[in-house]
Formats: sequence, structure tokens, C-alpha cells
Amino acid sequence: MNTSSATLRSAVLLVLVTAVGCGKTPPASFRLNMVQATKTAAPESGMEKPWSSWARDRQGQVATILEAMYGTPDEPIALAETGLDLAKLQLAAGPVRSDIVGRKNGLYREHCSHCHGISGDGMGPTAAFLNPYPRDYRPGKFKFKGTWRDARPARDDLTRVLHEGVPGSSMPSFALLPPAQVDALVEYVRYLSMRGETELALYTYAEQELGVDDTMPTTKEFLVDEILTPIVEKWQGAEEAKIPVAAVPTNVDFTKSGDDPANQESVARGRVLFHGDGGCVKCHGVTALGDGQANDYDDWNKVIVEWSKEVAGGLGATQDDAGRSAWLHAAADVIEGDALRPRTIPPRNLRLGLYRGGRRPVDLYRRLYTGINGAPMPGVGPSGPGGKGSVADAEIWHIVNYIRSLPYEFDGELGADRPMVAKDRF
Amino acid sequence: MGKRLAGIFWSLLFLAVPVLGVATFAIAPAYDHWLPKDVSEHGASIDSLFYFILALTGVVFVVTEVLLFWFMWKYDAAKQQGGATYIQGSHTLEVVWTIIPAATLLFLAIYQMNAWADVKMRRPAMSPTVEVVARQFEWRLRYPGRDGTLGTADDLFLVNDLHLPIDEDVLVQLKSMDVLHSFFLPNVRIKQDAVPGMKIPVWFKAREAGEFDIVCAELCGWGHYKMKGRVTFEPRAAFDAWLERKYAEQGATQPPPEAADVAAAE
Repeated sequence: MNTSSATLRSAVLLVLVTAVGCGKTPPASFRLNMVQATKTAAPESGMEKPWSSWARDRQGQVATILEAMYGTPDEPIALAETGLDLAKLQLAAGPVRSDIVGRKNGLYREHCSHCHGISGDGMGPTAAFLNPYPRDYRPGKFKFKGTWRDARPARDDLTRVLHEGVPGSSMPSFALLPPAQVDALVEYVRYLSMRGETELALYTYAEQELGVDDTMPTTKEFLVDEILTPIVEKWQGAEEAKIPVAAVPTNVDFTKSGDDPANQESVARGRVLFHGDGGCVKCHGVTALGDGQANDYDDWNKVIVEWSKEVAGGLGATQDDAGRSAWLHAAADVIEGDALRPRTIPPRNLRLGLYRGGRRPVDLYRRLYTGINGAPMPGVGPSGPGGKGSVADAEIWHIVNYIRSLPYEFDGELGADRPMVAKDRF
Repeated sequence: MGKRLAGIFWSLLFLAVPVLGVATFAIAPAYDHWLPKDVSEHGASIDSLFYFILALTGVVFVVTEVLLFWFMWKYDAAKQQGGATYIQGSHTLEVVWTIIPAATLLFLAIYQMNAWADVKMRRPAMSPTVEVVARQFEWRLRYPGRDGTLGTADDLFLVNDLHLPIDEDVLVQLKSMDVLHSFFLPNVRIKQDAVPGMKIPVWFKAREAGEFDIVCAELCGWGHYKMKGRVTFEPRAAFDAWLERKYAEQGATQPPPEAADVAAAE
């Protein structure tokens, strides 16, 4: 009897423990942009507190303001001034769950945060293993869009990236998600971006305007009119900031291949521009294999590279000032622990037939026209409305035509040095 | 008395295994937890093999479990007087229980050969209808375009949304860009690993139009769960029209009109 009842008791206990579980995860919280928080907090003369507690105070002030303006990852706030749609944000925010009518919630954590991080800082758990790194939304810069280079992306630009993914990077396609879910995610990315930009603006303000003993102002005039409005205007202006796309010249026929007689003249012209006025060979190389310069960084990585140099230089010099020394050591810790190790951004190999921002002629036209915001790739079109580019708008189509012919060029014509073409690989 | 109760408890617990096991299978179809709808030509032969093996193992399972219960019940230590009898073993019995399963397995191996050959060996003589490249975590698709040849300038590139014609053989060229994946089309009873560095042909004939899942059946990384595609089977004419539409989209030289503009125009 004893043995069997003991067995029964432990079986019941096992079932209970499995069903109930133990412990509770703490609610999710946004992380501060430690790189910018530390970088902009150089010690000043006349500081009474030690630098680290002074810096912690200021970071606390920024965190409080951000929480008041944007809420938490579980409970986002959409200030009327941002124009963000709270219902969409709520669909994307919070833990993964289904609501009372069976609608999916917590979409961002289901699909995005693993790489892009809960704060949209591009530092989720998998980020360090990816090349290129996932996008950090906080500076508000996006690569693949149809707006002017420095403009924010329009909603349909972000939608398109979610739809098509970014072939050649680790971003997969979300084409089969219901449109309402994609909409919610686009809105949430805009929210995280605005939040990140607000944080950056606060640090910049503190660095430039605040004295040692000043605290961050919290008036509505300051936070909304001075900090938030310029950020929101950029996002709202994006919908109107699309670049014009020139009509396709008559000697270009994108339904035919590059070596078709219909395109020969145009492809030849494109080749001339590629090697000449377009300036493409500088990075993409004369063979277009992407073997020109290869040591450059994109803007996200450049911040870390340049700051690391400054910090290393500072730490190398002798330190008399305790505050400065504390700051530099904190900076070194942040670079080590709160930033991803910088990676270079090699120019694309144009013979692979792999186009991150899309392969449609209009996609390539946009890449050429404005370049790629955040990357070293410059545009050949004008930098803003009414400007003049290095290549005339209609002529850009010839470069597009030439680039589209590259993966299929030289088939069976050249010798051992002939670049690998599409047929070999497939 | 306590010992007798424990004996009854354990015998009944073991009896519950075959009872619940059979009950689970019996009620599963009512809860839509049975084989997914089959729309393929060869699927019936796979399904009949499945049912045949299920029936065979099902009978053996029930008989073994009931025997186990019966021995536990009948030879419960609480009601036994004296010890167990030691026997040397039975040569005849051992030969019988070795030969019966061996013969069964051999029979199955021969019996299924034709179904296996249909799916994995008798490749139709045709060039690929589409190339499917598995990648963490999506299905990249490439159609050969108008010239019917992959690797030329008129290839059509798409992702996750596979369309195929019905009532004719289709040949999928399966590749992987990074790790092992498995291309699983439950509704046409096709499952094939995608192996990096290999081009693996997969063929079938769908007989019914409709939209079905493509799932990855090989744990391929943390995002395995999001690697879901969709296959749409449609008549040849609709398939060709769809290809033309996608082909036109890929050739776009102007951004598509925005939803708001389209609505205003209508």
C-alpha cells in the first residue's frame, strides 16, 4: 500500500507542477540607445557628482520622457501629434497572443523582434550572427524606398520590403501575412523609428543646450513642438516625397533580354555611363563583380567605428581627469556590450542577379537615382526636387538596362577570366 | 487487500493504453485531425499503404496490449500461491516470432516498391516547371519564363506564393541556399529534403484546383515556424494568365498606382 500510494502522490504532483508552472517573466521594456546616451554625455567642468551617477540621472530623465511619450513594448502610446494609429500599434505590440475575437496580437514579437530587437535597435538575439546586421530603426534611415535619399520611407515602401523580403540579406518575405497584419507591422516600425529619433533628439539637445546641473525640460512646448514635430513632419512628408520616374526611352525594351537587337544600343550606352559619368566602377569594379573599394561602412556601423577610434585614442592618452576617465571606460564597455561589432559593407556583385531592393526596372531606377540612404552608394540623380544629377533622368534607364544584362553577359565568349554567369550557377 | 487494489489499478491502467489508443484514432477524423485532403494523382497509393500498415500494426498493438493486461490481471502476485515456474525457453516459439515479423517486413518492402518508384524514380522527361530554393526562412521561386529555360534573362522570380497547373505533370527543381530544409506539400503527399549543393527533382500531378500549404518539415533554425508558403493549383489557362500578370509586375517601369488613387479612379 505504501509504495503504490507514494507513486500515486508523486504522479499527481508531477501533473500539477507541469500544468501550473512556476515563476513569471517580467514585463518587456525598451532599452535605451546606450551608444548615443554615452557618446553625447562627455563630462563637463564643474560636475559635482561622479560622472557615472550624473550620466545615470540624465539617462533616467530621458527614459521617463520616452515612456510618457511612447509607453512600453506591452502598452504603446500614440500621441495625437505623431499621427500613429494606436489600434494598429496594439495589434503589433505586446506578447504573442490571440484576443477575445481570435485575432492575432503581438505580431512584432512573433515575426520581427528576434532579429530587430524589442526596441527596434537591430540587436535581437540572432542579430550578431547575421551579415548584414538587421536594420536599426532608431535613426529613421531606411535603404529601399521610392522617396528622396534623405526622406523617410513612405508606408508602401516599408510594405514592399515586408512583402518581398530582402534577398541576399537575412530578411525573409512576409507576403502571406494578411494585409491588416502587415499594415500593423509597418505602423509599429514607424512607431519604433519615431521613438528612436525622439531619443536621439533628446541626447543631441542635452549635449548642445543643457548645462551640467540642468535637467531635461518636460514641458509640452519643448517635447512636442521642439523635439517631436520635426520628426513627425519628416515621416508625414515621406508620402509626398516620392522621386519622379522618367519615361522609358524608346530604344529600351525591358521585355527583351540585354543582347536582343532591341536593347543593344541602350545597353552599350549604359555600359559607357557605368564606366563614365555614373561613376559605378569606383566601387562595383570594371568587371561589376563588386570588387572596387570594399572597406567602407554603412552609417549604422560607421558610428561605432568612428567612436571606437575616439575612445581608444582617449584611453591611450594619460588621464588626469577622473570624470573623463570614467566616461571613456564606460564608452569602451558600451562599445563592447551594447553594440554589434562593426562589419564592412561590400559593394554588390552585379553579376549575381540578386537585388536586395527588388529586381523590377523601377526598383533599379530608384536605387540609381537616389543611391541607398545610409550606405556608401551615391545617387546619380539630383539630390532633391529641381536639382541636377550626374546622369540625366532618362539616361538612367540605360544603366538599368546594362545592369540587368550583367548576370547573363559574356556567355561562352571569354576565356578563363570570364566572370561566372547565371547559367553556370543554376 | 491493499496489494490486491494496487494490482487492479496497474492492470486497468495498462488496459487503458489500447482502449485510449484506439479511441484516439476513432475520433480523430471527427476533429479534423486526420490525413489532409489529397488532391494528387499518386496520393491514393501512398494513403492505401499508410492505412494498410496502420491496420497491421494496429491489430498487433491491440493484441499485445490486451495480452499484457490479461497477464497482469491473471498472475497478480496478490492472488498467486507459490513462486513462478522456470522454463528453459522455447525454440519453436522464438523461430515463429522471428519469422512472422521478418516475413511481414519483407512483404511490405516489396509491396511498396511501385509507389516509391512512382514518386522518387520515374521522373517525367521534361524541363523544370519551377525552381524552388529553400532559404532561412522562406521559399524563393523561379519560373523559367517564356523560353522554358532556367538561368536566362526572362526568368520570373517570386517568393512563397507558388502556383502550378493541374491535370499535368509538374517538375519542381528543389535547392537550398543555406541549411537542410524539407519541402512538404501535405495535400499532394510530397515531402522531400532540400539539401545545400544538390538539385533535387520532385514531380507530381495535381488533380484539383485550390490553395494549400507548403511547410518546411525539417527543423531549419529558430525561424522554422515562419517558413510557410502557399501553393495554388489552377487550370492551365488560369495558371498562364497568372504567370503573365506576374511577369508584367516584374517588368514594371513605374511605381504601381497607390491604393488611394486606384480607389479614386473607380
